[in-house]
Amino acid sequence: MKKKILVIEDNPMVVKSLEFKLLKEGYDVATAIDGRRAMEQLETNSFDLILTDLMLPFVSGDQLIEHIKINHPNIPIIVLSTSTQEDIITNAFTMGVDDFITKPFSPNELALRVKRSIGSLKKTTNR
Amino acid sequence: MPIGPTCIFFMNISLSITDLPSVLEINLVLSLVFFILAISVISLILYLRVHKNISNHRKDKLDILLIDFINNYLFNDDFDKSNEMVNFKNKHLKTTLDKQVATKQILVFAENLKGESSAVIKEIFYGYGLYDFLIQDLTNKAWFRKARALNVAYQLALNLPSSLVDSLINAKNKDVRQQAFFYFLHRSTDNPLGFLDKVTTPLTLWEQIHIENGLKSYEGETPDFSNWINHELISVRVFSMKMIADYNQYEHTPILLEFLNHKEHEIRLQAIISLRKMEAPEMIPTLIKKFSRESIQIKQEIFKTIGRIGHVEDLKCLAPYIQQEDTVLKVEYLKIARHFNPRISAEKIDEFRNITL
Repeated sequence: MKKKILVIEDNPMVVKSLEFKLLKEGYDVATAIDGRRAMEQLETNSFDLILTDLMLPFVSGDQLIEHIKINHPNIPIIVLSTSTQEDIITNAFTMGVDDFITKPFSPNELALRVKRSIGSLKKTTNR
Repeated sequence: MPIGPTCIFFMNISLSITDLPSVLEINLVLSLVFFILAISVISLILYLRVHKNISNHRKDKLDILLIDFINNYLFNDDFDKSNEMVNFKNKHLKTTLDKQVATKQILVFAENLKGESSAVIKEIFYGYGLYDFLIQDLTNKAWFRKARALNVAYQLALNLPSSLVDSLINAKNKDVRQQAFFYFLHRSTDNPLGFLDKVTTPLTLWEQIHIENGLKSYEGETPDFSNWINHELISVRVFSMKMIADYNQYEHTPILLEFLNHKEHEIRLQAIISLRKMEAPEMIPTLIKKFSRESIQIKQEIFKTIGRIGHVEDLKCLAPYIQQEDTVLKVEYLKIARHFNPRISAEKIDEFRNITL
């Protein structure tokens, strides 16, 4: 069965590119353009990985990560952000994200990191 | 030729208007003029609104097509790149607006993707024929088109003919000039400030700030700022002195020390600021010696310098040169005195006061 990824990003170009690339890599992809819609998607569907921006309308990335960690603690999270500030990156890892990718990003590298994060989920579940 | 009923109607109106008293006649004519004017303005606004809506709708549609095309070009191995490129170009990139939208969308991709995708994005830019469009913009009279072309060129790391760009370094329009600076700074591999050699009009403070910021993101080797320390423009010299201090190029301290005796006020001022930042106490004897002949602004900088890297004895040497009525300098002097000895009593400060003229 195809692994399902939720992409949360407000830039239409980035959403489309991620969707395109991840579909090509053989994943099922759902998208949300803000934190509120992402929460709705999380209530109605189950996902194997979440790929999110930090700067989102309505609900910020931090709040969203906190929500996911409380309600869906087993889903790996990859942050995709323009921020290169050390404190923001450290804060994200402290909140429990699995990986942090800075924009501009390499689509091939992103695909590899998605694969690795989903792989780590499989290992955790098997244990 | 027979006269139509409409003509007869208007003739009747004009005849009846001329029969009216002159005040009413003027009133009526003016009302008519304003009515026509109002209708024309409303029609123009409506036209512009509709035109804008149509072009926005076209832009949105083209944006979707472009995102789809570029994604296919980037990630779809089965995509017939050469044929699809020709088809897309002929079908969707006909007008100036289309080319502007395509350029903007390519910039968004370039801003968000890196690695192997960057080269492909550049390939798409050339494939769409947008390089020729960019050159057209660069040779256009409109300043905003020139500025835009330069911006696109440095963002996409494109090389432009130097015959077209060199003259823009001294462009009258500040935006064009600024973009030209950025272009040279970001396109250079070993000499990011080489363009300063061609600058013939003074650098404004904003331009200096922009160059400074641009340098922060420059990935190559930091330039030797002393190369421009003898530039014909004072603003360029001041900028290079500032950069020498910011980038800790201590090897140029002797040159800055020489500039303490320069005839230009701005250069002496910047030399003091830069040397203070570099913590060069060897300048203090010169500063004390020249204190009495300097401007208030430089005297204040001398006080600051002594407060930062000097001693209380250096400060005392300056006291005889402060006039009693020179309030600004007296305050500055007493502030530094307090800085050297925070617990100093009011009486002691008075003693300092007594030393002054």
